[in-house]
Amino acid sequence: MSRAAPLAISVAAALLVASVPAFAGSYISAIVFAMMISFVMAQSWDWVNGQMGYLNLGHYAFYGIGAYAFAILLTRGVPLVPCFAAGIFFGALAALIVSFPLFRLKGDYFAFATLAVVPLCELLANNFDGLTRGSDGITLPPNYVLIPAFYMVLTLAILTLCVTLWLMRSRFGYALRAIRNDEQVAEVAGIRLFPFKAATLVLSASFAGLAGAIQAWQFSYIAPNTMFNLGVALVPIAGALLGGSGLLLGPLVGMVLFASIEQALLTKMTHLRDAVIGLVIVLIGRFLPGGILRAKWIANHPVLSWLSRESHFEVKGEGGPAGERLPLSPQPVNAEKVVLACEGATMAFGGNVAVNNVSLTIRQGEIVGLVGPNGSGKTTLFNLVSGIYRPKTGRILIDGKDISQFRADEISHLGIGRTYQIPRPFLELTVRENIAIGRTFGASKVSLEEAMRTAGVFAAYVGLGGLLDRKAELLSLQQKKALELARALAAEPKLLLVDEVASGLSTVEIATFVKHIRDIRDHYGITIIWVEHIFSALQQVVDRLIVLDSGAVIADAPLHEAMRNEKVLSTYLGHASAEAK
Amino acid sequence: MPFDIFVQVLLNGILLGGIYALVAFGLSLVYGVAHILNIAHGTLLAISGVFASLVYMHTGWHPLLIIPMIVVPIFAFGYLFHAGLLRPLASRGKHDETIGTVLITTGALIMMSDITGFAAGTQQRNIPVRSEMLEIGDIILPWSQIWILGGIVILTIALHLYLKYAWFGRAVRAVTQDPLGATICGVNGARARALTFAAGSGLVAVAGVLYALVYPVDPYMGFSLTVRAFTIIVVGGIGNLAGAMIAGLLLGVAEAFTAFLWSPKWAPAISVILLLIILVVFPRGLASWQKT
Repeated sequence: MSRAAPLAISVAAALLVASVPAFAGSYISAIVFAMMISFVMAQSWDWVNGQMGYLNLGHYAFYGIGAYAFAILLTRGVPLVPCFAAGIFFGALAALIVSFPLFRLKGDYFAFATLAVVPLCELLANNFDGLTRGSDGITLPPNYVLIPAFYMVLTLAILTLCVTLWLMRSRFGYALRAIRNDEQVAEVAGIRLFPFKAATLVLSASFAGLAGAIQAWQFSYIAPNTMFNLGVALVPIAGALLGGSGLLLGPLVGMVLFASIEQALLTKMTHLRDAVIGLVIVLIGRFLPGGILRAKWIANHPVLSWLSRESHFEVKGEGGPAGERLPLSPQPVNAEKVVLACEGATMAFGGNVAVNNVSLTIRQGEIVGLVGPNGSGKTTLFNLVSGIYRPKTGRILIDGKDISQFRADEISHLGIGRTYQIPRPFLELTVRENIAIGRTFGASKVSLEEAMRTAGVFAAYVGLGGLLDRKAELLSLQQKKALELARALAAEPKLLLVDEVASGLSTVEIATFVKHIRDIRDHYGITIIWVEHIFSALQQVVDRLIVLDSGAVIADAPLHEAMRNEKVLSTYLGHASAEAK
Repeated sequence: MPFDIFVQVLLNGILLGGIYALVAFGLSLVYGVAHILNIAHGTLLAISGVFASLVYMHTGWHPLLIIPMIVVPIFAFGYLFHAGLLRPLASRGKHDETIGTVLITTGALIMMSDITGFAAGTQQRNIPVRSEMLEIGDIILPWSQIWILGGIVILTIALHLYLKYAWFGRAVRAVTQDPLGATICGVNGARARALTFAAGSGLVAVAGVLYALVYPVDPYMGFSLTVRAFTIIVVGGIGNLAGAMIAGLLLGVAEAFTAFLWSPKWAPAISVILLLIILVVFPRGLASWQKT
């Protein structure tokens, strides 16, 4: 489908909806109005869930707060426009306040705590009766506003779709998708988590607040038990999931379907309406994990398949030839300069001291091998340097700056890159997107478009040149490891921490990898610490060996000296290796 | 505040807190073993209380007889609910599993409340047992409340001993710590999860009958109890019975004094506000606070 067709269809659909009040009666118009309100709620909710991966069950609280702010001001004679502005403002303010406690939680804990916000709001609306008139609710002056309210919410709905489109393509949106895939890796890649998370919640809450205000204006009556009703609160969420969370048209399709089911079933029922809604919600939860748009018959349908396509960044007509120079500016090497220094760094988990009083210095341009038996603290040391843990005692200095209390994203911006022992690429994103995220959020700070364009060179460098648009979850273990190296390099690090890349590689692959490590240092001046068990690989390239045992440094010497060290032989290498020489 | 009134309010708070703790035990066990945050958990208390009250009104039986009448069907319901709706979600990715669990348990909450309200009416009910009064000085306590308190203590101790020494109790603790390891050692993880879900439901049904002996119940009150139970397990620690008991008692006493000194309408706000404050003050959860 060409680019013009979706645009033409969208404009036609918008015009069709806009003409509803002109030729349909007020009954139909009111139904379409309610559908659009639900859609705005569902879609703004899905920015937090579908894009960022946080299940917010308290979205309706912002809607209710917006409605109350609007109604309270309007009944006190404030003009209409400031009242709507107050709806947006107080919805957003509430989101900002609750994001401080709530974003300390993850997964189902987050979901549950957000759900508890809805009854809290109901309680506040009931108890502050001087302001809210308690359970009696607020009646606005009678006024027929269906037509202006209709066009207002139509505009809001179109704006909601535009924001969704923007999120799917922008740097901001890619930060959310990285957070959704692996929050810790996102932080180490240089994404400061809290501002992105709070901003997304505030954005979604301001749309909900305005939707609540428009609804209150149209309906001219609000009360705590209708604004903060648990059954009503979950309908937009169920609708978004019914369609397909995270897809451009998922919430829209889902909400239209859900509203149609409601209309078909409920207009004839006098009892048990809530029970039917509850049943529909249960069935969606049980049978539709990805929503209807991800169902096989739609994904494979010749016409409908574009509905289920996920949005991934594509670049037309490029492809960096293998072996081309990486777009990194070579760093001048000063062999006297200390890049990383640990001074008595200690890390303990309960009674288990994983890193014990480690002191070491790494100078610019060195390739240092970090070895030791399993459990000797190598990866924990990497986690300390990259900011995943903070040392209990001691200091860690990068370029002479104490980073012991820095967040992982701050450390990343100082030029520290790393890979993981068990590779952790962003699985739902493509190779290109993975590399570009490392590049645009890391120390290099290039724009997203530029990062997407140059990602191919990094991919080709590590041997993934042909797989740029493949999702990372479809890669083999080795390819994932290669992708991690590309992602770390793309950030233009000064110091690269490489955690066990060679295990499982064939001899030829190891040779290529060793060549890369040497090349990265020789051509781009990047300092490297390499944790590896395959000693023959290390041997070919490292200048110096640091040996850990039970969390402590037992040897720190040039390669050949360290290999003859008695302690190293007895704890790690074994005497046979010395005899073999 | 005069001393006798202080003691009276304190005892009311302890009774309320004990029942909260029972509700929290079930939620905590189910979360620990099956990793399901059952949003309908408190609603099971509400419908147990409503049906216990109906049985009492029609038959006049002793509440001790009513407990098994309510608990057995709720236990069976819990087992089937888990086996039919929740267990199949385990094969999904983590986020999809969470979404499925939330939708199913919340949908069930809405259905249970609405159907119970339709069948039994939406008005508040209780179990109006007559009870002798125990008078110590100016402090007056109905004997029924003392029996309830005693029942909660015995149930807690029995549950603790069962989890600690019985084979199935140990299996449950093993699955809580490491599901795969427990399976390799011969524990049927799926069965342990379903039975724990059923047991958690049964426990909250007991709490429902006890609750209706002292306070009014209605079909829609359940969610506020789930919120309290959640606060309690966040404070007391997942799978930690003693912690949940202490946290439950503290919450009950805090609510009783808020209701007495300020206004009953603010008492339900305490748990949510407490929860949000704890999350700010102890960002890594209270588990880290307990260890240090």
